[in-house]
Amino acid sequence: MNSPAIRVSGLKKNFGASEIIRGVDLDIQRGERHAIIGPNGAGKSTLFHLISARLPVTAGAIELKGENVVGLKPFEIARRGLSRSFQITNIFHNLSVFENLRCAVLWSLGYRYSFWQRLSGLKDARQRAEAVMEEIGLSRRRDTPAGILSYAEQRALEIGITIASGADVILLDEPTAGMSNTETEEAVAMIRRVTEGKTLVMVEHDMGVVFGLADRISVLVYGQIIATDAPAAIRCNAAVQEAYLGTSLHSGIAS
Amino acid sequence: MNSVIFPRGRLLLWGGGLALAIALPLLFKSGFMVSLLCQMGIMVVFALSYNMLLGQTGLLSFGHAVYYGLGAFITMHTLNLIGKDGSPLLVALLPLVGGLAGMLAGVVLGYVTTKKAGTTFAMISLGIGELVAACALMFPGFFGGEGGVSGNRVIGKESFLGFTWGPQVEMYGLIVLWAFLATVAMFALTQTPLGRMANAVRDNPERAEFVGYDTQRVRYLMLILSGLFAGIAGGLTALNYEIVTAETLNAHTSGVVLLMTFVGGIGFFYGPIIGAILITVMQIVIGGLTHAWLLYFGLFFLFMVLMAPGGIASLIAVQHKLWQAGLLGRMLPHYLATALPTLVLLAGLVGLIEMGYALLAGEGVGAGDTATKVMGMEMQLNAPGPWAAALGVAALGLALTRWIGGRTRVAWNATLSTLHGDKA
Repeated sequence: MNSPAIRVSGLKKNFGASEIIRGVDLDIQRGERHAIIGPNGAGKSTLFHLISARLPVTAGAIELKGENVVGLKPFEIARRGLSRSFQITNIFHNLSVFENLRCAVLWSLGYRYSFWQRLSGLKDARQRAEAVMEEIGLSRRRDTPAGILSYAEQRALEIGITIASGADVILLDEPTAGMSNTETEEAVAMIRRVTEGKTLVMVEHDMGVVFGLADRISVLVYGQIIATDAPAAIRCNAAVQEAYLGTSLHSGIAS
Repeated sequence: MNSVIFPRGRLLLWGGGLALAIALPLLFKSGFMVSLLCQMGIMVVFALSYNMLLGQTGLLSFGHAVYYGLGAFITMHTLNLIGKDGSPLLVALLPLVGGLAGMLAGVVLGYVTTKKAGTTFAMISLGIGELVAACALMFPGFFGGEGGVSGNRVIGKESFLGFTWGPQVEMYGLIVLWAFLATVAMFALTQTPLGRMANAVRDNPERAEFVGYDTQRVRYLMLILSGLFAGIAGGLTALNYEIVTAETLNAHTSGVVLLMTFVGGIGFFYGPIIGAILITVMQIVIGGLTHAWLLYFGLFFLFMVLMAPGGIASLIAVQHKLWQAGLLGRMLPHYLATALPTLVLLAGLVGLIEMGYALLAGEGVGAGDTATKVMGMEMQLNAPGPWAAALGVAALGLALTRWIGGRTRVAWNATLSTLHGDKA
């Protein structure tokens, strides 16, 4: 149980001739809230795609709770307790909010591909879905098709689907992107609430969110991690400030 | 959530449907009607099984007749194998054999087709469909060549509860029984974890993978189960017609079931039921009235795809919503007002099509004959009179439809915005 939640070593990803991830080493401890920041195009989302097996790895190793997961399919990684959200909302558009969440809990409750059980009879699936719906504040939208929710509601549902299975390692890809300030505040409080006691890794551009939530921060620049440290130390790191050209991060931190 | 196993409304609907299916042959006793009803019942099962793929899992198949046809052939061979020693009870159970054959075909062929979704699935299903249809002509020993395989569903010395399945109306009873059981089973499937995850895979296969589901497995299982019900429909068709030809598993049959399902509405469970009944009636009734029926069929499909892509079921669903909101009364006069000029337009168009068809394809008198019967009327097709009349009626209908239809559209949009305004 001492192995880290996620251990990435020597990770590389090429798209054709261009190297996007150029040798990433990263340990995410169990129970920590870890933010990955970096300029646009640094490869943050690609790193998430590699860890969650959305994209195949070119070289290197990824361990999830001490087990090698390179070469596994996304659903196999999900079954091992890693769940992720997407930068671009990725929900079941024609299904209701409740059905979205129920779909997200079915596997973890062991219902697999059952075609001999009635969904409405599965009390635990219903209760779990309803509990998550309550947590993300969408109870009054229970029967609304997910496709016609407002943007902020869809983002909340995106996180709801991610946490519904009860996975203990959660990857959030820009959870507050495109939100207003009030919405962001609510989202941060919600993320803090629903990831209590879990390992959280997030990619985020909003420095307020990053420094408010994260225990540790890693800075990814051109496919390499240039620093991993506590927020206070990252703030003062010269290499990090240089990478951000003394602008966005600095002003973000200053505010 | 209701914890009642069968909500009262649903029970009423199912019971009513079953009662209607049983009552129909008592009301319409003619042999023609009973044959028509038999074909409807079979097609309902076939179309519902197709929608397990198209509507529920998002898989567009061009080769669904393979499972239907193989089910039919295996049933027919089993029937002939049982021969004289059998009993009507065994015959009644034969559609299950067809179902198992369809399912087995799904296990084997589906393993290949469901590797991928989307366009790739559609193309592979087309390829497999052609492959099996080609086999049907290559192995006349099994598929009976051009003549097909025939059999006799009346076997055994004694009847089963008074049934021998000989009279068509008894066969209809057997079809209703199987169709009802299959429909209940297919509906029940939509209410299970697999059924719901099929919807999830249809909406967003990527996310389904990230909540722990192997989308390939979901598609494969749905195809196998769909093959089971298509095979049952095939078994029924074998018993009903007592002959199975290569036609049952070719691309034309696959196309017809796609049309039925689409016209009925893929977004609703009951959509394919409506589509199957309607298209069967069109095929047989209009097919009996005019040789140009395929043309009407094509025009109708085109009209549906363009004007009501959600199918008839979606039209019904909208009316139901209007009714619940108390707005249907506002639209009804508009519907009636539009119906009249549409009928005029249709009359004109039908006249033109029939006359054109008679002139070009020669209704019974040989192509090019100008004096011929069109819709029971003697006509001189080389004279401008009939053409001018039909053209005039069509033009009048078109003008009226555009005029009144425009006003209906305005009313429709206003009603819809009221409906959505009420909801928000």
